[in-house]
Amino acid sequence: MALSVGLAFTAYDGLSAPRWNGLDNFRELSADPLFRIAAVNSLVFVALTVPSRLVIALGLALLLQRARRGVGLYRVAVYVPTIVPGVAYALVWLWIFNPRYGPLNLLLERLGLPAPAWLIDHATALPAIAFIALFQIGEGFLVLLAGLREIPENCYHASALDGAGRAATLRHITLPLLAPWLLLLTIRDIIVSAQNTFTPALVMTGGGPYYATLFIPLLMYETAFDRFRFGLGAAMMLLVLGVVGALIWLAYRAAGGFGYEDEV
Amino acid sequence: MRSRALCPRRPPRPWRPLFNTLAFHTGAVGVTIVFAVPGLWALTASLRAPGLPPPVGVDWLLPSPLAWWNYLRIFEILPLARYLGNSFLVAGLAIPLTVLVASWAGFAMAQLPPRQRHALLALAIVIRMIPLTALWLTRFLVLKELRLIDTLWALLAPVWMGSSPFFVLIFYWAFRRQPAALYEAARLDGMGALGIWASIAMPLARPATAAVSLLTFAQYWSDFMNPLLYLKSDDRYTVALGLRVLQQMDATNWPLLMAGAVVMMLPVLLLLLLVQRAFSPAAERGLSSPAQRGLGSP
Repeated sequence: MALSVGLAFTAYDGLSAPRWNGLDNFRELSADPLFRIAAVNSLVFVALTVPSRLVIALGLALLLQRARRGVGLYRVAVYVPTIVPGVAYALVWLWIFNPRYGPLNLLLERLGLPAPAWLIDHATALPAIAFIALFQIGEGFLVLLAGLREIPENCYHASALDGAGRAATLRHITLPLLAPWLLLLTIRDIIVSAQNTFTPALVMTGGGPYYATLFIPLLMYETAFDRFRFGLGAAMMLLVLGVVGALIWLAYRAAGGFGYEDEV
Repeated sequence: MRSRALCPRRPPRPWRPLFNTLAFHTGAVGVTIVFAVPGLWALTASLRAPGLPPPVGVDWLLPSPLAWWNYLRIFEILPLARYLGNSFLVAGLAIPLTVLVASWAGFAMAQLPPRQRHALLALAIVIRMIPLTALWLTRFLVLKELRLIDTLWALLAPVWMGSSPFFVLIFYWAFRRQPAALYEAARLDGMGALGIWASIAMPLARPATAAVSLLTFAQYWSDFMNPLLYLKSDDRYTVALGLRVLQQMDATNWPLLMAGAVVMMLPVLLLLLLVQRAFSPAAERGLSSPAQRGLGSP
């Protein structure tokens, strides 16, 4: 780790010794149009996926929290997309998004709606990749199910005695008491979506079409291991860490701290 | 149950529970259909005879020669049973070790004064932010010193820090939810920290334990990078590496690849089916939680 921080300020090709070049790497990055595209794409991806993933995981956890007949199978089903191995998951979506034979476009055509080319179209490729990420929320779902169970049941009894309806209970009991778990998941999701957009982009689009799905991790990988510019790659990693840290700080502020200070 | 006497019963509306149940199952089945698609697709794709063109539209539900022998084939061309055994060993060992380490760390953290708690929280998040790529080389050097390269213990290395800082935080938050009065009472009874952890904290944190166990199993089960970096002999390979080998042997033979993917998914889903009972409310599982007993007694 410390090694990478040091490398960010050098020119290093993995063969000759690292040569100190100060802030040159950062200057080069700020002038690099590809880096700018990748940075914007990554930020858009985070903005599209993190809030919606949280809402989906929360909604499903609330729906499937009670003990009902068959609830176990429903819970398992929600976890399926998360555990499908990466290659298989990519193949599934390449097929769903296939512009001519994919079920999605066949359906859209039957409904008389426009059928875009999804992953091959510059305008729709990034939203399509973000859409794919919305289904792999199994981990957040399980953590929230556990979090819901850790809410003391007498809180619910008290609110029922006060005559609170479902919406009021959700707003004044469940969500505030679940807040630390939600914040934990938001932080984890920011980190994961900033660092792990690599595999889907590489397998499904290779960063294309025309850089529409070029994300920072992919660019970092190509810079370091294809063009052997380890120093430049390390500088990118530092910048990503900085931005991720800033986003986490924002989420932390927005949630008003980790809570829990006033009770028990 | 005094609380029930306090609430006057509303006039019975017999259609209400039925309607609720129907609405619940409609919603849940809808969700299931959407979320099960990738798994179902992998399943049907694995049953297509190799060499057929990829499916068009929705005529994929039942491939016409049902090529179930694809599953026999992958066990023939790869020592998949051995790989599965290795994976079960690693992921199975990872669960108890992770739960132990992460819950102890979380338990210790929950007892600290606020300032130190917050410092540790921030530290856990910073640790999580470090890209895994930055650890590959350093971990290799450490494992080499310990002569653990090419053993399954190399894959278990993250266990000693609770597998993920987030598992520690999950336990931390679960323990912070528990009433301090319970701990206090136990302490007055002369119980030590370990006793409180074992007989009060952990039984109350069953949902968190269930979530961490399942996520731990999934993490080690589908871990691809660590086996690739730290294993050499192929009799120690795990099933995630096996899938990769399958992919590289014949990149266009999708049915075999999908059969491998299905074999790889099933154990995790079965485990989830087993542990998910812990996520249902205690009262509805037929147990009563201390919180409820506290409310019922005067």
